[in-house]
Amino acid sequence: MPDGPSSPTRLGDLERVVMETLWAHERGTLTVRAVHNELAADRDIAYTTVLTVLDRLAKKGMVLRERVGRSWEYRAAASRAELTAASMRHTMEDVDSGDRRAALMHFLDGASTDEVADLRAALAEVERRANPDA
Amino acid sequence: MIAAMPPLALVVLALLMGGVWPRLMARQTRFRYTPQAALLAWQAVSLGAIISALAAAPAAIPSFSGGRGLGDQWVLLALVCLVSGAVLISLLVSGHRVGTRLRALRDDHLALVDLIGADGQGRDRSVRVLEHPLPTAYCIPGRRSRVVLSQGTLEQLSTAELDAVLAHERAHLQARHDLLLEFFTVVHEAVPAPLRVPVALDEVRLLIEVLADRVAIREAGAVHTARALFAVAAGRAPDEVMSGGSAAGPRLQLMAGAHSTPWLTLLAYAFALASVLAPVALAVWPFTM
Repeated sequence: MPDGPSSPTRLGDLERVVMETLWAHERGTLTVRAVHNELAADRDIAYTTVLTVLDRLAKKGMVLRERVGRSWEYRAAASRAELTAASMRHTMEDVDSGDRRAALMHFLDGASTDEVADLRAALAEVERRANPDA
Repeated sequence: MIAAMPPLALVVLALLMGGVWPRLMARQTRFRYTPQAALLAWQAVSLGAIISALAAAPAAIPSFSGGRGLGDQWVLLALVCLVSGAVLISLLVSGHRVGTRLRALRDDHLALVDLIGADGQGRDRSVRVLEHPLPTAYCIPGRRSRVVLSQGTLEQLSTAELDAVLAHERAHLQARHDLLLEFFTVVHEAVPAPLRVPVALDEVRLLIEVLADRVAIREAGAVHTARALFAVAAGRAPDEVMSGGSAAGPRLQLMAGAHSTPWLTLLAYAFALASVLAPVALAVWPFTM
């Protein structure tokens, strides 16, 4: 497949792999060396590249780092489940935020004022029309 | 005094098209049966309001040319210049603000779902799957677009229903509905807050959804599309009554009552044409006198 505009950047791929490595360690901290060792098992990757990716992730607030002795140690700022839950809350509950409604186009925007029974009746009508003999 | 008519008429037309008509149009729910033509009419009215406001100042020029001097018409000149200038500036500012905000939100969210989401079926990277039981589906428009689904959607919807959801979201992305919505948002925010017509923006949003629903119906059938919409709506309502505001009800009713509407479509197109032609004619008229 050609490297079109819809394919994620290589850097984005690496960020993802690095996050997965940190997540796999259950909030335990890892040194750059440790992350590099894990990644290098599957691919050809330079130590400095891992350092750059971790640095980018730290700037984005995705990972936290702290000085331990003479080296930096990194850990994920939040678990994948926490981030997913927060993301779902943001995208589903901010019904009043016109910005989010214009930025992301939902299959079904926000919650509905309709009663489920009314929706079920409307659905039944669609089904009846599609199959009048049933 | 005849020469003062077109610029003043343009100011009045700008107010009508910017504030009065949108309120009336938002109530014409019949046009939801012909979403494409209705959206064109909405665009034409917005455009007509913009043309009217911007053309008011230039249309006043002929009244002061021909050596007649400013005379007592300086009030008129000041008024139309104020209107045209204010509209131009607020449109530019609004366009910049809305564009910047939306792109920042999308970029941030895209980076997030690329990190936390799993690839879609067949390692499809343009589809991100979030590990969450509530059903949801949306797309992130833009140069690097994504369709985002939750695990709840994958589990609760049948394959055909899922096809309907994907067709709906891909219709948004392919037809660049985001640009259409952005245009309306820019125009909406260019108007001073007390004069905005939120029901107009809501109606336009609904029309865009109906348009995408139609693509989904073509590809997956009305029944599967309706079932998908119902499943997503019902999946979010553990207490059987939902709060907030969405369009599940109207959209399902449109699917249930679908019929052909050639006259409504024709009416919407004629209205669209008139909405653009009227201000253009008024703007050109002074130069032909």
